Amino acid sequence: MRTDPERMTTVGNKAESPARRSPLEGRLLALAVFAVLPLTAFSSSLPDGDSLMQAVADRDLGETRVSDMTLRLTNRHGKTRTQETVTYRKYYGEERRTVIFYTEPSNVRGTAFLTHDYPDPDVDDDQWLYLPAMRKVRRISASSRGDYFLGTDLTYEDVKNENRMPPADYHFEALAREAVDGQECIVVDAVPVSDDIAEELGYGRVKVWVDPAIHVIRRAAFRDVAGNRLKQLHARDIRQVDGIWTVHRMEVNNVKTGHGTVLEFDNVRYNENLDDSTFTRGALRRGRF
Amino acid sequence: MRPGVSVFILVLGAFAPVTHGADWRADMIIEAEHAHAVPDDRSQKSELMLTPELGWRGEGGVRLTAIGRLRADGYDRLEPGRPEQHAVSDASRRYFHDDQVESELRELYLDLQAGGTWLRLGKQQVVWGQADGLKVLDVVNPRRFREFILDEFEDSRIPLWTVNWEIPAGPGTFQLLWIPDRTYNELPREQDLYAFSSPLLVPTPPDNTPVEVRRAERPDRAVRDSDAGLRWSAFLGGWDLTLNYLYHYHDNPVPFASLENGTVVVQPEYRRTHLFGGTFTNAFGDYTLRGELAGSTDRWFPAAQGEQDNVLHSPELSWVLGLDWQGLTDTLVSAQVFQSAVELPSSRLVRDSVQTDLTLLIRRDFFHETLTAEVIGIHNINLDDGLARPRLSRELRSNIVVSLGADVFYGDERGRYGQFDDRDRVVFGIEVGL
Repeated sequence: MRTDPERMTTVGNKAESPARRSPLEGRLLALAVFAVLPLTAFSSSLPDGDSLMQAVADRDLGETRVSDMTLRLTNRHGKTRTQETVTYRKYYGEERRTVIFYTEPSNVRGTAFLTHDYPDPDVDDDQWLYLPAMRKVRRISASSRGDYFLGTDLTYEDVKNENRMPPADYHFEALAREAVDGQECIVVDAVPVSDDIAEELGYGRVKVWVDPAIHVIRRAAFRDVAGNRLKQLHARDIRQVDGIWTVHRMEVNNVKTGHGTVLEFDNVRYNENLDDSTFTRGALRRGRF
Repeated sequence: MRPGVSVFILVLGAFAPVTHGADWRADMIIEAEHAHAVPDDRSQKSELMLTPELGWRGEGGVRLTAIGRLRADGYDRLEPGRPEQHAVSDASRRYFHDDQVESELRELYLDLQAGGTWLRLGKQQVVWGQADGLKVLDVVNPRRFREFILDEFEDSRIPLWTVNWEIPAGPGTFQLLWIPDRTYNELPREQDLYAFSSPLLVPTPPDNTPVEVRRAERPDRAVRDSDAGLRWSAFLGGWDLTLNYLYHYHDNPVPFASLENGTVVVQPEYRRTHLFGGTFTNAFGDYTLRGELAGSTDRWFPAAQGEQDNVLHSPELSWVLGLDWQGLTDTLVSAQVFQSAVELPSSRLVRDSVQTDLTLLIRRDFFHETLTAEVIGIHNINLDDGLARPRLSRELRSNIVVSLGADVFYGDERGRYGQFDDRDRVVFGIEVGL
């Protein structure tokens, strides 16, 4: 089963030289292709990649979400830094507002980050950072989609998408079935729709393992725009909270830098009544109530 | 301040690792910093600072926060002996255990939520404005000039007993301040390491004339001499906007001088002023534009030689315009222009009628934000003096940061920065969060 994107490319290139084959070879090849195809694409009943990823994108995430998030950042020498946060997220239609309050360690306690993410990709998101040492809420320019989020191995776009991939950014193709953590998943090849989008995202290709039963991405392997292996993501401890499938642990390893990030989510609550004032500059200044 | 309060907080801080709970917490930041003056190869300070913080959270958004500080300096050269703290109210003073050890209740406030409004009562810092490095609207709290402007504002700002009420209204929020705490800038004394000598900051008497400087009396009426402020802030059309008003005593006393029996007698007095101002901020792609404007109705400035009075009255208009650029990952470049203008001609003043400062900050993070290199520069156009502050900081662990930096003054000794040209120093520090 061809699951490596690079190998697929190689096979594809070989198939692009029919002019050097004899007519008989061509007919035999055609027969072979028609004979094999049902065994691969059709007999395994793979779902349509676009439909599957649309279902992932449409998965219920709750209008609001509150959780404790622990970040463990490990460098290539094995040294780990740990930060604890409380995060609040609320959707206003398609607009998404998120605020993160750092609670540990004590020398970063009070640091807070607020984003207003707008659905229109042509409209810059608004972002503010509160640094307790300055006692000021500082407006910061909207991060590029491919910028890394607060020292982690996830990009702002990764965080914004909450373990989903916007169908507008990728072409999807279902490749195979493989088990991840004992659950059968559909392997999907995701290719950015254009070179510009690939540059923005920082990804040239992504292979994802989607659990079709719950429409959650359990694994992902990212390649950079040059086609080199970049990082791997593994979602673990996936449980239902308030009826919503929720990833409680996310591991990301950057194979280029050797840096790793583990995000752990605890005390996850959905659809609590969060006041709009939670997502304002004043809330950053006042701190978490 | 009574020493028992800070001792209580410090003891709580010592139990930081074992007191984390759902409703209350106690933790502490330990900082050690050594500063060595380069020109005279002499240490300026070698201090250990403990900052314990106690927090309690109750039902309905009620919170209590207490922050203390204990500081010990092995050299006692920044503020030799025990400063009298005449400019500070009894309730906000530091307690000096001896010449080298002091403790202070930095903040103690109660947060309440009621009817969609937020009330913060107690000793606290209130920060206005968007500028970095220099102050235009950030004048609600006075400052301690123990290390000129080299201290973090967080440390040099003197928290005040304040009623701080935030009230949402329509698209914005009003902030009402009532500050009965009559505390003003703690200016350095003659014997302090960073004592002012610039004529822009201290009056210069005629040569060979004896001078007697009397103590400035703080206003003493509890209510009538309070400061009061109002701020409206909103996020409109992508712009962060504020309008500010502060009715306050300016934190530096006006050094009125008179000649008495052949002696120049300087009698500083605190004078009131109205401050009107506003800020705006917006982001455009990789750029963030910041602006701040403040007009003060009643300000006093040192007069040039030959003027009948030693200080002259004028309104003052100050503004800052800043542009941040974050077009490169993990990099910030921030430039600012500050100007202060008065109605009087330069010929009648020690200062120019328009003063201009430029600042530049370049910062870059490396290795997933564990190493930060930055340089901050402040340059005064009028006297060509300034300050450069390169710094390298490294996060060794989640809660341990070490830093190495330098503070380099240059230029005309009459200038605010040039006056400290012989105080250049290197600084090594370590910060541990518990």
